[in-house]
Amino acid sequence: MSLSARWRRIGAAVLCAVIGAVAAPSVAADAALLDFTPDEVRRILQHGPWPPPSAHDAGNARAADPQAIDLGRRLFFDRRLSVDGTMSCASCHAPAQAFADGRARSLGRVALDRNAPSLWNAVHERWYGWDGAADSIWSQSIRPLLDAREMAGSAAHVATAVAGDRELACRYTRAFGRDPATNDPERTLVDAAKAIGAFVGTLVSGRTPFDAFRDALASGDRQAAARYPLDAQRGLRLFVGRGRCTTCHVGPMFTHGEFGDIGLPFFVRPGEVDPGRHGGILALRASAFNLLSRHSDAAGGDATLKTRHIEPQHRNFGEFKVPSLRNVAETAPYMHDGQLATLDAVLGHYVDLNLDRLHADGEQILQPLRIDAGERADMVAFLKTLSDRQARGWQAPAETPCRIEATSGAQGQKGAASSLVRR
Amino acid sequence: MRLLLAGAVVAAIAWPVGAAADCGEALPAASRVRIAHGATTLVFAPRPAPLAIGRHFALDVVVCAAAGGSPRTLARVDADMPAHRHGMNYRPTIRALGGEHYAVDGLMFHMPGRWRFMFDLGSGADLVRLMHEVDVE
Repeated sequence: MSLSARWRRIGAAVLCAVIGAVAAPSVAADAALLDFTPDEVRRILQHGPWPPPSAHDAGNARAADPQAIDLGRRLFFDRRLSVDGTMSCASCHAPAQAFADGRARSLGRVALDRNAPSLWNAVHERWYGWDGAADSIWSQSIRPLLDAREMAGSAAHVATAVAGDRELACRYTRAFGRDPATNDPERTLVDAAKAIGAFVGTLVSGRTPFDAFRDALASGDRQAAARYPLDAQRGLRLFVGRGRCTTCHVGPMFTHGEFGDIGLPFFVRPGEVDPGRHGGILALRASAFNLLSRHSDAAGGDATLKTRHIEPQHRNFGEFKVPSLRNVAETAPYMHDGQLATLDAVLGHYVDLNLDRLHADGEQILQPLRIDAGERADMVAFLKTLSDRQARGWQAPAETPCRIEATSGAQGQKGAASSLVRR
Repeated sequence: MRLLLAGAVVAAIAWPVGAAADCGEALPAASRVRIAHGATTLVFAPRPAPLAIGRHFALDVVVCAAAGGSPRTLARVDADMPAHRHGMNYRPTIRALGGEHYAVDGLMFHMPGRWRFMFDLGSGADLVRLMHEVDVE
């Protein structure tokens, strides 16, 4: 090759490199986005938008009341609601643990049988507890308050705790227009639970890297979509495709809100079985605090449909609630009793699924998950993108002392209770 | 799940039946489904429509007979997912509204996929089961 030809070749190479460098951003961006099919995109979009339309605790007339929310927040962290002042709701639902507790099985006054679920986005669930024994957040709140293994309180104890503290009593009166000192204790218990339900109903987690990706796909913004990590994209493709995870982990909450049997052992201890959903339905029906009870503010209508029409079936044995996967990376360990320590272990359960261990009557929903080690890592990467970065960072707002002022003027002062002004 | 009782006849999806062509005409045209078998026609429409995963819905149902005949009574409504071999988690209830009209409350499809409605009409040896499959995503 002559010297001039060599320089021409070098010049051409440099020119190509310059052109390539200028073009690189769009080319690289497109290259970093998998070629999702229209059907895959449709399935991905079904997992949003986030946040969903606002919702409120069912059968709870105070669910949207700022006064009740304020009271509920205080009660949630107040250990005096437990019989010996050692436990509060936050003992098992700690903000720094994404409103769970990081244990396989929670610790009450004794070791308990189940894992504490995160309370993030509880308001968007249909049933509460791994067995769905409660149909509202407020009714679910009553159970640990009274359970001898947990806070071991009573209606009288809760009523005394509320009435005996100036701030609590003031906030109670402000929220419910009644003096807790003269209330029927069960009334105060239910009101306290509704206040807690109102507060927990405000715990809606923020947007995640997945949500940004999902919305970028929806708007056709390929550059924005390409910022989503490739391993998460691959994991997502498996999630909505070959993994068939969306059979149960569907919609913006990544759960259909019902129950399923995935072949997990359901012995609590040798000789004792956790009845799961079957026991939950029976407990729900027997509850004095369900949405059909006199304590419910639901008064019929759509809110009570689920409770009116639920029916125990034999296949409910061995079924536990399908949890939301939002913030799943923040709430290890996993399953109703925390028997799986990591997300990788969860995937391993589905890979090694023993169909003979499925308890339900001939159901054919699950098949062993056929993925290799790399695909397994990709799915974990995807699941990690379902976390709100603030899931462990909830902070209580600043509070001011409670004040109740009497009305004056045209309405006059008709009496302490009727003259209360909410602040 | 037991599908057939003695004397029951299973019918597949829909073709127009001239004698009951106006059956269920008052139901919303965009969402109503017509099922027929012999002299019996059943028309239903979900409420709200369209069907959505994880949302309770009702069915408005009209049962018609051929001219001169008496329509069978709607005795039972249920649904399952044939591929998964499981049913709904909720038991629907039927309200007879008079004449040929019924409201069925409390249904929910909790999983995406193919669901199968089952409508049992009549009883005993006169029982007829009409079915209709629908894909819900």
